[in-house]
This record gives sequence, structure tokens and C-alpha cells, in this order.
Amino acid sequence: MGAWGDLREVARGWRWGRRTLVPRSALRHTPSRRRGQFPTGWARTPAAKAAREVLLAYGLRPLVRNETAPKIHGLENLDGLEGPVIFVSNHTSHLDASLILTSLPRKWREKTATGAAADYFFDTWWRSVGTALVYNAFPIDRTGRGRGTTDAARMLDEGWNLIVFPEGTRSQDGWVQRFRTGAARLAVQHRVPVVPIAIRGAYAAMPKGRNWPRPGRLPISVRFGRPLQPEEGQDHRSLTRRMFQAVAELFDEDSTTWFEAVARAERGETPAPSGPDGPRWLRAWEASRPLPRRGRRPAWRR
Amino acid sequence: MPRPGFVLEVDERTPPLLVHEGEGFRLQRFPLGSRVVYPPDALPGIKDVGAAIRHALENPVGSEPLSELLKPGMKLTIAVDDISIPLPPMKTPDIRQKVLEQVIEGAARGGVDDVKIVIATALHRRMTADEIKRMVGERVFRSFYPRDLYNFDAEEPGALLEVGTTEEGEVVEISRRAAESDLIVYVNINLVAMDGGHKSVAIGLAGYRSLRHHHNVHTMLHSRSYMDPRPGRSAIHDSATRMGHVLRDNGVKIFTIETTLNGETFPSQFGFLNKREWEWSFKDQAMFLAAKRANDVAPPRLRREVWRRIEAPYGVTGVNAGETEAVHERTLANLYRQQLLEVDGQSDVLVLGVPYVGPYNVNSIMNPILVHCLGLGYLFNMYRNKPLVRRGGVVIMFHPVPWEFHQIHHPSYVDFFEEVLAETTDPKTIESKFEERYATDPWYIHLYRTSHAYHGVHPFYMWYWGAHALDHVEDVIVVGGDPRSCARMGYRTASSFRDALEMAGDTVGTGPSVTYLHVPPLAIAEVR
Amino acid sequence: MSLALELYRSIPRYLAARAIGGRAPGLVAGPLAPIRLVNRRDPEPDRPGWARVRTRLSGICGSDLATLSGKSSFYFSPLVSLPFVPGHEIVGELVDEVDGMDAGTRVVLSPVLGCLARGLDPCAACSAGLTGRCDRVALGHVSPGLQTGYCRDTGGGWGRIFAAHRSQLHPVPDPMEDRVAVLVEPLSCAVHTAMRASVGPEAEVLVVGAGTIGALTILALRELTQAGRVTAVAKHGAQRDLARRLGATDVVEPGEAMNAIRRATGALKLRPERGPSFLLGGADVAIDCVGSKSSLDLSLRATAAGGRVVLSGIPVGGADLTPVWFRELEVAGAYTGGTEQVNGEARSAFDVAIELASAAPLEGLVGAVYPLRDWREAIDHALAAGRLGTLKVAFDPREG
Repeated sequence: MGAWGDLREVARGWRWGRRTLVPRSALRHTPSRRRGQFPTGWARTPAAKAAREVLLAYGLRPLVRNETAPKIHGLENLDGLEGPVIFVSNHTSHLDASLILTSLPRKWREKTATGAAADYFFDTWWRSVGTALVYNAFPIDRTGRGRGTTDAARMLDEGWNLIVFPEGTRSQDGWVQRFRTGAARLAVQHRVPVVPIAIRGAYAAMPKGRNWPRPGRLPISVRFGRPLQPEEGQDHRSLTRRMFQAVAELFDEDSTTWFEAVARAERGETPAPSGPDGPRWLRAWEASRPLPRRGRRPAWRR
Repeated sequence: MPRPGFVLEVDERTPPLLVHEGEGFRLQRFPLGSRVVYPPDALPGIKDVGAAIRHALENPVGSEPLSELLKPGMKLTIAVDDISIPLPPMKTPDIRQKVLEQVIEGAARGGVDDVKIVIATALHRRMTADEIKRMVGERVFRSFYPRDLYNFDAEEPGALLEVGTTEEGEVVEISRRAAESDLIVYVNINLVAMDGGHKSVAIGLAGYRSLRHHHNVHTMLHSRSYMDPRPGRSAIHDSATRMGHVLRDNGVKIFTIETTLNGETFPSQFGFLNKREWEWSFKDQAMFLAAKRANDVAPPRLRREVWRRIEAPYGVTGVNAGETEAVHERTLANLYRQQLLEVDGQSDVLVLGVPYVGPYNVNSIMNPILVHCLGLGYLFNMYRNKPLVRRGGVVIMFHPVPWEFHQIHHPSYVDFFEEVLAETTDPKTIESKFEERYATDPWYIHLYRTSHAYHGVHPFYMWYWGAHALDHVEDVIVVGGDPRSCARMGYRTASSFRDALEMAGDTVGTGPSVTYLHVPPLAIAEVR
Repeated sequence: MSLALELYRSIPRYLAARAIGGRAPGLVAGPLAPIRLVNRRDPEPDRPGWARVRTRLSGICGSDLATLSGKSSFYFSPLVSLPFVPGHEIVGELVDEVDGMDAGTRVVLSPVLGCLARGLDPCAACSAGLTGRCDRVALGHVSPGLQTGYCRDTGGGWGRIFAAHRSQLHPVPDPMEDRVAVLVEPLSCAVHTAMRASVGPEAEVLVVGAGTIGALTILALRELTQAGRVTAVAKHGAQRDLARRLGATDVVEPGEAMNAIRRATGALKLRPERGPSFLLGGADVAIDCVGSKSSLDLSLRATAAGGRVVLSGIPVGGADLTPVWFRELEVAGAYTGGTEQVNGEARSAFDVAIELASAAPLEGLVGAVYPLRDWREAIDHALAAGRLGTLKVAFDPREG
């Protein structure tokens, strides 16, 4: 038949460029495709790591700095800390992972992997490859039917830091939702410290529904907190509460001052990061309030 | 979770399907509505095979543990299946090597001195030293070859002992050495349901006088099929059972060790040959294209060499030892678990892709008679209850059927093809007119005993193996077959599948129902 | 919050799909489609007469595919409100109870959002029961949207939950399977088409296209009119078999259709220097169930003078209208079912459709069902459905 003939037969028979189909009578015997299963090991090879470093340092970081005005606080909390750690943060925007990765010092960044929703980021091969390459992402099954993630445990054992968003999804209104227990579970099982991060202003800059930051270089504050060590016999639920409290305190510190925040924390009066009680419009209104701009006014006013 | 076998119905969404044709393969589109029989997924192999063997030897069924049977001063004969199994040859270490090593270790510990290892070739060709070494492993080879490890010679004067006669008058004559031993340990691989059981010793270590009682046209016509060894279904197995009982009743003690393999037939480079077509990943499709191109352009010798070197990464699904019938029952259960599936009804046309290797051309050439044996013999008979094709239907096979014979391995085949088939293709006539002469021809016997040739009568058996098929179907059409060799065998040839279906229309009409048996990996169809 | 496929505004995608979608359908089902799987807020019916419905099955219609491939006319732009969840061929079950129907009732949806659904006083058309001709589909308290499946507020079939007004809901008799019930909406359109065709006794009818719409139209013609010969034009084998089963007298391939009508009616066939041939004489009624340029040409050119051409599929390709003038043809559009005059009595097209569906051999029309997550596979399959031997592809949003 000749090489071209064979190629044509295969291309037509397996519907290249389109989706392969299963014959009707074989449907019963074909396991349904499990979405979100994507091997990401290749993204942790030296070649991929080098490519990622270039992409993050010379691509993503300048881009984030150009489109928004991020300010990073609290990196001194990472001094003397031994990896691996789990970074947990509130989640309001697709900017969050980019902000965290580009804020981390290189030593931390090159050993960090991001947990990304399997059903969203790993549904097609090109999105999977992009996410894995740039963010060193691994799939997390958040439908509740799967096993959450098995990669995370293995990577912690291999010494990778993880970025996990315990809310499981971006907040609708900018305030912090209930934390799921997966991150705490991992921390307790593998006895790794948890570094809380609070990101304020990302919701105003690029909320859910937008894929590009709003114009105007809106300020965003990324604040790293003191690492939480899982105590002896601590169970994941109490660790989750500690994480939530830590993020709340960071929010408070960020919106007021450190001194006031510590005092309030002592008194147990840290305002809840889950936002004001009230109608939906009020919550969205308060969450999207732009942060006060510190530093010089931009020359061009928009 | 290995999935069961199933029958595909070809629809618009079905990609073209893989069909083996000798040392090659193609993608073939089948008409809508054709049925395709797929074997079950490969079962997982046993992880610790050594432990499984040990367990079987120490906890046999229907017998004392092997260690108790091996005593000092006894005469022990270990018989081993020959090179005709498994297909393709198993990746080393062969399972027989592992079993042998443990049996011999037991013999050594038991203080047995008189140990002979006989390769149960019956009238097959002698295995070469290299082939034997590959099968039994270096350690066994070095310790036993050539004096205590040898091929069975059925024509050696005085080498056979007549043990008795069955109630049907069948002479039971096996290797004298084996019959006079205190214990025969048989190391078997059950690749298809035909193997094993009483057939191992009663046929594997027998000579022509015994074999003619069941290796004949009448028995073949009444073996429906010989892949279904249940009593009353397969005349050849009934005969073997009778002979086995004669052996047992006359004090021949046999400790049978049977093993079964899973469906991992092709190595991972050719993984697409094991998989269902619509599940081929992009990599599989690319591998197919590359392999096909390389195969098509390769010079014939290189191509043959590449195919010859294929080693199957078989996993072992079971090891059972002890009394022959009890063991064989378990063996068959394991085998059916891997190969059996149900098919609803027969069809007008059966399509077979004949692969490159059969039991009698390992490291050799598949001559036209062996194509007949593999296609109309073994593959046609991979059924229980009823054949996949109805009586009076058509078989369409894919194979180039080259007019090519291996001069050393198959000398009698050449003459059979030139002389016997030129005159008639009817098995009964061939049997009555020619068999005796070929079976007793001294030249063939000489080659069988000293060279590496199949016995003079062997091509006859190959022809009889397809007797049931020849009786059952009306027409045989070979796609891509050499017209001369096919004509000699009474087949018709077509250059494409479409033409073959059109030719089949003469017999079964236009728009016939088609079933394609998608093997290898092997599958047995229980046809309702 | 539940899962739904949402069609959103994306100019670049629209342009790209329009430009190359025809040649690379694989891309239309992938990166070019302006559609995404989202977790959407469930519609909250806050007015009386509205209820939430959980989708059990929702079909993919030719109009949906035209929208995704950028072929849909801009005429519709004020009649839809982006972003919306597509899907108007729906069988579902009520989540809330509403006026005389308990929660859990299995229902099919009449998708038109007419005056009643919009909380307006009925316009003349709605009063006469011809909801398809409602003049107010862009007004009222519901966002503009000619049907559920084109409206931002209501949601649609390609999502887990949508909202419907009582006037849109019809209960499904228990013995009817979901896979047949999902065909009731297209069947009601076919019923309406058959009535619009004004088929006289023993008329010669040409049905162009034997996809779902064409096949169901043949069924409706046979059951409800006194049509004589029905010639069906079908491109693919599976469609031809179905057309025959449902009662077409003669089934031909597109290339042969003109000749077949010519032979059947003894007409004269003429060949212009440019453009397809036409007949002087021909069918009494032609029904175009495809809407492409070639199907429209065939319908207009194979109809006898004074005959009737019914456009059942949205005409996306322009055709030469000369035969309409020269042969004094009546061209009628058939949009969606309302109240029909069937055998002298006024009945709702939906009721007639449910009756027909209970008796007709419609199992197997829905050839493939996909969960929402596999929407790319579903769209890809639907785009090539005819060739793949499938008639209708549907979504089942209930699975994961």
C-alpha cells in the first residue's frame, strides 16, 4: 500500500485533528476517560526547570509587575526555614499563583510546585503542558470522587515545596471562604511546616471572570506569615483552624498595622477574613475596594 | 482490572483493524456490521513465580508432594515440552527452566542419581543445542547435556515399550526409558486448550504405532473441536485419555506440572499488536506506521530475522502439579479465564489473519502446508460448541503463502507438496494412499534421527489438522496469497479483501455476515 | 452553583471559526469554540409560575452547531443575551413544584420564551397560541432571548439546572424513555412544519435532508397529512435507513435527487450554463430541513409552479431566488411548534409530538450521550454525526 497509503489510513481511521471515537459495541468495555490524569514528572526535570526559571524570572515577573503593582512583605519569615514547606494562601484570582511564585526568592522558587485543579487546568493537553511548565503544577482532583492528590505526598517526600489554596476555588466575592482540610492533612502526615500567605488586592485587580488584570496597575499586597509547625498529635482540623487564623491575622496586619493586628489577635478580635455580613453587593463592594497606593504617584493618571 | 473478551460490531466509528499476514500485518477496513472477536485483556502474571512453583510442588493435587516421591536409588525421567510452545517463544528465563531447576534441586536433595531429561518431541524435529540451552537455562544445560538431556527419538530401535492397549484397540507405546522409570515428571506449558493432560506423556513420548490411532483423518473429523477437550467433544483427547488410563493402570507413575501463561504476547515495542485498535494512543499509531514501513522495505532475510527474534513477555497465570487429570482441570480453568469468551451464533464468512509463527516453524520457514495447519487447523478450531462459521460457509485468510520450504527442517514437506498434493487434496485419499510410505521411508527416518527434520509422516498430520475445516466450509480464499501454492492446496486467491468478499459471494451470496477472529493474543470462542 | 456550558462573547473566536471552521472542524470543537465549562450560579426563579428544572438529557441541534461555527446570522443578536447556556431540546425533572405539577415530575420543554413567560400581557400571536410568532421576545422581566437556550437568565439544557415557566412545561408519560423524550421538541417542530406545508391529498413531497429534523418531518408527514409520495434526500447510509423506516417512499442521495423527482413527476429538466439544473414541473411541496445553499437550491428548483417551499432548517446559505418569482412559488418559514390545526381540531404541537413519539420507532436516534465535561468530544461527534452513523448527540449533565 505504500507509506503514504498507510499514513492516510491511520489519519482517517483515527480521526487525526479530531477526537477519537469508540465503536458503539465497545462502549461497555471501555473505561471512561479519567480527566485530569496527566503526568507532570517531566516538568521537574532539569531542562524543564531551567526553562521555567527563564519564563518566570524574565517573562512572568516583569509581566505581573507591569500590569499590577505588587508589594511583597514578610519574606524574612522564610529565613532559616528548612524545606519542604506547604505555602497556603487565600485564593481570589488567577494572579495568585503567579504572584506567589514570582515573589519567592529563587532558592525557594525553583523547588516549588503548585497544586492546580485537575478539571480546570488539566482538561486538554495544551493547557496541561502550559500549566505544568510555567507553574510546575500538579493536578488536584477537587470533585471529591477521586483521591484528591497522590502526587503531592510523593513530591513532599522528594523535597518539593507546595503551593496549595485551601479554599479549593477562587472566591466569588473576594472574601476568604471555608478552608478545606487537604493541605493540613498533608502537613500533618509529612510533618512539614505551613507558611501562610495573604494576598490582598488581587480580587480588585483581576477577579473571577477576568483573564487579564484591570488597567491602572492596581496595587496588590502579598504578605508571608510566620511558619506554622504542626504540633505533636495535632490533627488536621485544628491545623486548618490555625491556618485560617494565621491568614486572618495577616489580612488584619496588612490592612492596618502589625502592632494593632497582634494586639487584636491577643484579644481574639481579629476580624474574620470572610468579610462583612450583609447583602451580596456590599461584600463585593468592600472586597473590590482598591488598596491605598503607597509610594510615588504614577506620572500618568488614568 | 482486566476486561473480558467481547465481540465488536463494526460501525462507522470503528477504525481499520489490524490483521496479521505472515511476517507482516496490515490495517483492514471491515464492512459495517462485521463482528470481531477480541480476546480478554491479559491477566496479571504471578509476581513470585518461584514461590508459586515451590508451592505447587509441595502441595500438589491428588498426589504426595514431590519431595516425598524423590528417593535415593530411583529412576527418574523428566519430560519437557519442546520448542513448539509457547508462541512466540517466551522471554528468557523460560518457565520450563524455572520449573526444571526446582525439580532437579529436589532430585539432588532427594539423593536421586539416575535422572534423564527427555524433550518430548514425539515426531517433531530434534531441538538444536542452542535451542535446548535457551529453554532449560545454562545451569541445567551444563549439568545434563548431552548424555542426560536429549531429544526423544521415536525411531530408535528398542527405544519404545508397548505398555498396553486401550479398550478401543489402540496400542500404547511410549519411550522405554520413561515407561520403566519409577517416576515421570512432566513439565508442561499449556498455551492452548489442546495441550496438556494425558496428551503430554501418551502422545509426547509416543512413536508412530501409537500416534496413528489418533493422528488420523477420522479422529480429526470427530474432534469438534480439538480446543475443547471435554469428554465426547474431541476424539483425539478421548483417545489420549484412554491411553493415559492404560499407562496409569500399568503402573506408569506420572507427576504432571502444568503452567499457563497470560495474553502478553508481544513486547512493548510492538505494544499496539496487543491493544484494541480504538485504544491506540498516538504513540501506538506512530509505532504502527514505523513498524509497517520498516517491515515492508526490509530485505526478506532481515525481516525474517526480526520476526524470529520476537520474544513474548508472557506472565505466568498458574502453576499446578500432581495427578494428571486433577491438575489439568485447574490448568484449563486458568486458561479459559484468559482466553474464553462467548459469541452469539455463527456467520457466513470467517476471516483469519494467519500470523508468522506456528508450532512447527519456530526458527524456521512457514511453508504453505504449515499455513494450512495454522489457519484451517488451529485458528479454525479455536471454538467450543460450534465453529464460528456455519457449515457451507467460507473462510478468508490473510497470508502471502510463499512457495518456500526449509530444507533441513521440513524435507518431507517438500515431497508431500510436490507429489501428494499435486494429485489430491482430499485427506482421506491422502491417508490411505500415501501415508504409510512416507511414515516408513528410511531416508526421512534417517533425517529425523540425525538431522533436525520433522518426521516423514508429519506433513500428513499437518494436512489432517485441517480436515474438519475442509469438511465444514465450502470455499477457502486467501488474500494476498501466492496463486501457485494456493492452487496446489485447493484454495482460491484474491488480491484484496473486497475482491475476496465478492468471490465469497459465489458461495454465500452478497452481503454475507462476517466474523473476524482477532488473534493473537489467543481467544477461544464459545459459540452459542 | 452548578456546572454548565456557557457561550460567551469572543470576537476573535467568532471570526476564526467563521473563517476556517468549515475546513477544520476539529478546531471548532476545540480551541475555536466560544464556549466554556463553568460553575454557574443557578437561576433562582423569584416570580410565581417559574420553577427550576434539572436536565436529564439535552440534545445538540444544528442551530447550536451553527452558532458555534460562527455561521449563525447577526439577525439573532438582539434576540439573544450573552453569555447564555445553550440547549433547547430538553427532557428534565422539576426541582420545585409549580402550578399543578409536583417536584420530580419528568417534563419536556417548549423552549419559546413568549409573553406568558415574560410576565407580559399576551400579544396577538401568543393569544392565538402561536407562541413561535411572539413579538415580545426581547422584552419583559426576562433578558432578551427567543428561547430557553439563548437567554442569559434562564440557563439552558447544556447545564445541570435551568429555570422554566409553567407555560413551557409538558409532562412526559411514564413509559417514554428519556432518549425518546428528548426528541419531542424537534418532533414538535416537525409537526409544525408538516402543517405549514399544507400538503394536499396524494401530493408529491420532497424532503431535503434526513438528519433529525428531516427524519422527524417524514414521520410527521406520514402520520398527520395525506401526502402521497415522499422522497427523502439523505447523504449518509444510516440516515437513509431511518428515512425508509419512518415512511419515505423513496430515498436518494443529493446528487440523484433532481433526477428522481423528474422521473417521479414526468417533469422537464433544464440545465443553465451556470448553477444547478432545475425542473419545469416537479414536486408539489418541498421541505428544506438542512438550510445550506445547495439544499435551498434543490428545494426551489425541484418544485412545480405554484408549489410550496417550506424552510424548516435555518437558511444560512443564500440561494438564487429567481425560481420563486418565475414559478410563482410560495416560500414559507417553519420555526417552531405552537397550536396547530390537525385534522380539523386545534391541538398543541407538543401534545401531538408526545403522542407520535410514544408510538413511533424512535429508539436509537440518540446515538451518543456525553457528560458535560466531554463537551469537545460531543461537539466533534455532532459535527460529523451523519458520517458517523449517528443522528442525534445529547448531553447528560447528571454525571460528573
